[in-house]
Amino acid sequence: MKPFTLKIITPEKVFFDGETEQIIVRTTEGDIGVLAGHENYVADLPAGPFKVKSDGKFRIAAISGGVLKVSKESTTILAMAAEWAEEIDLDWAKRSQEDALKRLNESKSDYEHRLAEMKLKRALNRINISQMK
Amino acid sequence: MASSNMKDIKRRIKSVESTRQITKAMELVASSKLRKAKEKADNSKPFFNTLYDTMCEIVASDNTFNSIYTRKRKNNVTLLVVIGGDRGLAGGFNANVLKMAQQRYDELKESSEVVILPIGRKAVEYFEKRDVKIMTRYENISESLTIYGAMSIADKIIDVYNKDKIDRVELFYTDCVSPLLQEARRMPLIPLDIEPDKEYKGLTNYDPSPEAVFDSIIPRYLAGVLFGAIVDSFAAEQAARRTAMENATDNANEMISDLSLMYNRARQAAITQEITEIVGGASAQG
Repeated sequence: MKPFTLKIITPEKVFFDGETEQIIVRTTEGDIGVLAGHENYVADLPAGPFKVKSDGKFRIAAISGGVLKVSKESTTILAMAAEWAEEIDLDWAKRSQEDALKRLNESKSDYEHRLAEMKLKRALNRINISQMK
Repeated sequence: MASSNMKDIKRRIKSVESTRQITKAMELVASSKLRKAKEKADNSKPFFNTLYDTMCEIVASDNTFNSIYTRKRKNNVTLLVVIGGDRGLAGGFNANVLKMAQQRYDELKESSEVVILPIGRKAVEYFEKRDVKIMTRYENISESLTIYGAMSIADKIIDVYNKDKIDRVELFYTDCVSPLLQEARRMPLIPLDIEPDKEYKGLTNYDPSPEAVFDSIIPRYLAGVLFGAIVDSFAAEQAARRTAMENATDNANEMISDLSLMYNRARQAAITQEITEIVGGASAQG
């Protein structure tokens, strides 16, 4: 398969910058796959899994929300946070899940509820993905 | 008399020395914090620049583009987000940005309502002493700020904006231009002032729609701007503190050398006087 350039950028660092053959990513509208020569495309990404294929093998990462941007020159994913499945700290993710649940139950306003819900989604996403590896 | 004078000088030298030790230590701490903050600010730049470019492309791709975040409203209530430091002893750092915000506040207050969102303990203290409306306070968050911390502030602002409680948001922060130069800045946040990218002519497929993608980018973009501004202000605070402490250390050195000179003179005078007394005594006997 023809390779194309992929960049995954988070506010903390450039998470991935290299060649890939295919990516599969979850958007708010469903999973989509991107191969070389894809049309220009921009989509919103919720917290979800992300697969990148190189040398015929898929590598899985967790993405905590972001934007996917495909253009002729390059494909870019802007993620709030990204981790490879094998690098996820499961204990930390579980603690963060408990904390989010606690906050969800104690939330008094819409705003607090939404923040806790987002935190819970991120934690669950990490837990799911670390078990997918 | 001479010996008590000498004792006084000696005590002052000791006290200036211990002050110098503190200012020197603060200078070194500020230097290392400055380096870390600069790194954090630089690392986050590619992310937000690409986000901003994407927003510009969305606006450019569609002539009928319309979002509540770009539409101008009547300016009835303005929110001023003011980022100050958590600590003092940083030269004019806090005073500069607070003065700028206060000026804008007075200007706006004449014709409309103003609400303040102070970030940093010094900014909170400043506005609490005055008769102003404060939305939420954030203290001691600058140093270990994460992107989620910035997200929660951005969400709060957007929440209030969506409920039509505020019509405009402005940000006051300090830009760390270089380690020697910090400038207080004002930046309009909402409504967004976006220049459509004229050269951009690509046809892009937005999923689910340009507006939906744009509106979901906004909170992240705002979080990014806040994150950048808070980290930049923190770097500026450290830079200002380093310069202030460097000057204080220099002044302490100068004082110590002046005082040492005085001490030596006093000691010499005491010795001379003693000799004169002995000589005087001896010649009186002989």
